[in-house]
Amino acid sequence: MVEEDTEIDCVLRPMNCEINLLSRSDGSTMFMQGDTTIVAGINGPMEVKSQKMAYDKLSIEVTYTPLTGPAKVDDRLIETYIRESCESAILVSLHPNTMICINLQEVQDSGGLLACAINASCLALINSGLSMKFTIAAVSCMIEKETGKIIMDPDNTQLKNAKAEFTYAFDSINKDIVCCHSVGRFSQSEFLASVDKCKQVSQFIFDFYREITKKYANTV
Amino acid sequence: MEVSVGDVVMPGDSLKDIKSTKKEGKNERENVILGPGLRREGDKVYVCKAGILKRRDPAVYYVDSYQKRYIPSRGENVVGIVTQKSGDIYKVDVGASEQATLSYLAFEGATKKNRPDLQVGDVIYAKMLVASKDMEPELVCVDSQGKENELGVLSSDGMVFTCSLSLVRKLLNPECPLFRILGRNQAYELAAGMNGRIWIKARSVQETIAAANAILAAEYTVASEMQKLCARIEKTLLLVT
Repeated sequence: MVEEDTEIDCVLRPMNCEINLLSRSDGSTMFMQGDTTIVAGINGPMEVKSQKMAYDKLSIEVTYTPLTGPAKVDDRLIETYIRESCESAILVSLHPNTMICINLQEVQDSGGLLACAINASCLALINSGLSMKFTIAAVSCMIEKETGKIIMDPDNTQLKNAKAEFTYAFDSINKDIVCCHSVGRFSQSEFLASVDKCKQVSQFIFDFYREITKKYANTV
Repeated sequence: MEVSVGDVVMPGDSLKDIKSTKKEGKNERENVILGPGLRREGDKVYVCKAGILKRRDPAVYYVDSYQKRYIPSRGENVVGIVTQKSGDIYKVDVGASEQATLSYLAFEGATKKNRPDLQVGDVIYAKMLVASKDMEPELVCVDSQGKENELGVLSSDGMVFTCSLSLVRKLLNPECPLFRILGRNQAYELAAGMNGRIWIKARSVQETIAAANAILAAEYTVASEMQKLCARIEKTLLLVT
């Protein structure tokens, strides 16, 4: 319903988002970061099967569907990351004995898929109106093999000569790390430097969320 | 980020200015009421929903947000569908995470011998009596005087459709002119539930559908444009020449 096209600095690829595009879901979004695109839909809070019921909190189920074929081990990893980060963001104790389903569909992958998936699910959560402690923003970065330079939000071609690859998610209040994923070899100082840089860049994503909400709140 | 009234807020923002309103009264402290979308943690107030922060006198703060899924809350009127009859209760689907219960004694004039005639699939307009996060929601179709008022079974020749919760809130706002404008040229009966379900019945099927479309279109229409919207619908219905 709201289409947004904002060029955010040169450090991040341009982000694009359409909110509330699925009619049956309680909250949904199509989120693009560069060419990486994900559609996310949220259903719930709804009735829960007895084996998954938690008597003191909301249980969260995440289903990630890749572009082709059935979900593999890597996709299960994405599901786990999203479930854990969303659980920290949502006020889970407000809806005991219920569950929400987060469904994600990969549309295109050109690097930074995990970060894109986390951001898409956060936007869908915002759209669904579920009570949250804070919003989360995920940023990916890499360390180049030859130069050792930190490149923010790399795409597929840049990732080919990466020494290490990181994805971090931050909360919106204190910018603490909510989730962290890394691939490759790196030293401690490189790790800390990349955390620092991503933390600064995450503000752009929070600003983007706010802008989207602003556009949307004004139309309704 | 710190926000104040009228701003677009995001989960995690903290409210400022709440304390200053407390001191406005000369000696007595004004009670601040935190409505939906706000929570207190220590001596700070945090926002937990995305939307527009609003304030109403004396000191009621709330976040006006978009939502589709209903979360039961005490005292709200809802439109539900009876799904099960078991013993002395009915199960009613109100679109929440759990089905609500409705006692057969909670109708006007109902006694143990004189049961209300409710079938599975009937649409009812009821009030939330119990709504807590740990318990099953419970409905009643009478007020505290034992009178029905406008609650009860809705006739089966109407139509039920769903919309977002924010649309219902917008329509039920006394300042919203839609129902008044719509009623100028066509007669209709309507029950709007806070759970995002609206039951409507007009003189004919065409008029019912047209009125339902007008209501759904009102979500993205500002109050001043509603006159135009209704005129267009009346024209297609050939109510006015």
